[in-house]
Amino acid sequence: MIVAIARKEFLDAWRDGRFRIAAAVVVVLLGVALLLAWQQVGRARAGRAAAAALERENWLNQGEKNSHSAGHYGVYVFKPLAPLSVFDRGLEPFVGTTVFLEAHRQNQAAFLPAQDATAMRRFGELTAATGLQLLAPLLVILLTFGALAGERERGTLRQVLSLGVRPRDLVLGKALGLGAALAALLLPVALFGAVALSKLPGGDAGGSWVRFAWLGGAYALYLAAILGVCLAVSAVASTARAALATLLVCWAANAVIAPRLASDFAQRLLPTPKLVDFEAAMNKAVQEGIDGHNPRNDRLQAFAQETLKKHGKTRIEELPFNFNGLVMLESERMAGEVFDHHFGKLWNRLEAQDRTVTWTGLVAPLLGLRSTSMALAGTDFTHHRHFSVAAEQHRRNFVRVLNEDMMNTPANAGHHGGTAGRALLEKLPAFRYDPPPPAHALRAATPGLVVLCLWAVGAWTALLLVAPRLKPN
Amino acid sequence: MLETLKLTKRFNGHVAVNELNLAIKPGEVFALLGPNGAGKTTTINLLLGFLTPDAGEARVNGTSVAADPIAARRHIAYIPEQVMLYPRFTGVENLDYFSTLGGRRHTREELLLLLKKAGLPAEAADRRVGTYSKGMRQKVGIALALATEAKALLLDEPTSGLDPAASHEFSLLLRKLAGQGIAILMATHDLFRAREDATRIGILLDGKLAGEYATNDIKHVDLEKLYLKHLRA
Repeated sequence: MIVAIARKEFLDAWRDGRFRIAAAVVVVLLGVALLLAWQQVGRARAGRAAAAALERENWLNQGEKNSHSAGHYGVYVFKPLAPLSVFDRGLEPFVGTTVFLEAHRQNQAAFLPAQDATAMRRFGELTAATGLQLLAPLLVILLTFGALAGERERGTLRQVLSLGVRPRDLVLGKALGLGAALAALLLPVALFGAVALSKLPGGDAGGSWVRFAWLGGAYALYLAAILGVCLAVSAVASTARAALATLLVCWAANAVIAPRLASDFAQRLLPTPKLVDFEAAMNKAVQEGIDGHNPRNDRLQAFAQETLKKHGKTRIEELPFNFNGLVMLESERMAGEVFDHHFGKLWNRLEAQDRTVTWTGLVAPLLGLRSTSMALAGTDFTHHRHFSVAAEQHRRNFVRVLNEDMMNTPANAGHHGGTAGRALLEKLPAFRYDPPPPAHALRAATPGLVVLCLWAVGAWTALLLVAPRLKPN
Repeated sequence: MLETLKLTKRFNGHVAVNELNLAIKPGEVFALLGPNGAGKTTTINLLLGFLTPDAGEARVNGTSVAADPIAARRHIAYIPEQVMLYPRFTGVENLDYFSTLGGRRHTREELLLLLKKAGLPAEAADRRVGTYSKGMRQKVGIALALATEAKALLLDEPTSGLDPAASHEFSLLLRKLAGQGIAILMATHDLFRAREDATRIGILLDGKLAGEYATNDIKHVDLEKLYLKHLRA
């Protein structure tokens, strides 16, 4: 019986001209969004790879200079776009694409794509993810608002129930049929997404296919929850119009109001410092360490005494290595601790904000889905942090190699050590970033997935609870 | 087959059905006559289990409707004043769907035959019912009663709005169904059709059975007089 009801609902949906037009619009929009994103991400990935190669050339051909100057010459590293940013750009437009690595400083990623965008961006960016997050629920509403309330109004519900159909079977059959109609619509979009991913050079990086499968599951959960809510509302609403009005209000609350309120709430609950204050505090802390450029620095004096004592010498010049190189190493080590502390605190706070927004998804499921989607696509803050940490690790390694070179250069070679020629520069490997495995994404997505599961279970429980009370009039 | 025992239903203190006792046997057509608000539709809703009685009991084929409405409905076919169908489906698709819900699967040929038996023109069976007249939809309702092999038929103003020819055709079908042993309860305003089709007539006023007559014992004119007399009483 449930299958017969599902089959009828499926056919009825496909024969409904309004649904076909709305479905075509949504599918075309999603398809176009995927296609444009695929082109854009492909170009951006190629562009960043080319920039990285050019930057490597610049690094190797910077000419001979002392190793510390090479450290200040620095190098740009480029964040490779996650392959699944084709689907969900997440925070990518709002976090930097490039980090300048140099001695003494941990720089934040710069050059935000959003800075290059037109004012139109404030209206949002159409990606497959935003399409599915915002438009697909509208499609579900269109498909379901009259499923029970409309039948009641038309009198067919009376006809159906008079045949001895169990209300629960009717509701489940409808859910199954309408869900199948929606799936038939969205599966080609998913297939198109899979093709786009497979055609993207390096598209399988970071376990993209595993992430893609999880993304499919997360969106299925979200839409199942929306379907359950819509049918429950349709079951209890007095008229189809009342059901539609209620569902549209819920959609606006979920899609428009909740995200803004949630981010404001998270910022108030867990405020982050202004950039200028953050940098001032970090610089102050760094200055309280060893300043390798200032011979009058008290800590430098103390460190020099300690080093001389350790090696049983009385003068710097007697040390078997270039003391300036050691100072630079120590200075970097101490600065690294400061950076780890300050950036760690800031990043932990930003992640806590994201988690807060995700948990407010218990009120509006979109918030749970959005964080899950970004995490699985590799475009959330935890992935940006993973890249930033990798970039910083690379900076520390290359600065350490240069400082060690300085340390092993005779002291009389100059204040900042000997010459860093091409041989030394080539010893420093190019930055290579390996995106985190799917397990990292799943860990980040877990709160959102829990929220979505709770919504799906809650919505379907509510639906099954209201089903037996389904009235024909 | 269809029974009500002191069946009572109140809405906000108003008694819609008042200790109603009915017993309709297989093959009987019982016409429930009464003005608007007399409690005819409420009685049908109580027999369908769409309403819960405040007192008394409704039974279908011995099954208490209140105790097991789903099982009771399995014996019933219900034809309202307007048989509501799915407009994006053809007549045969509607019949297929509803008969499946009623627990009976039929082949397409069987369904076409049932529609033909119910008097639906052959060319209409594969047309979407959005284009059907009321009479055609009533015929699909009759075909459904045939398809589900219902033991009891509940009709709520079935001929209201039908033209005389369609109404007559409907009557013939009803008699045929009764001849097959189906118990029929027909709520109607139509004295003529009641006298023509029913084996017994009950006059319902303020939820109470004011009079009950065998149609063989009364003429059309007498029925009208009786009805008016009860109304004025």
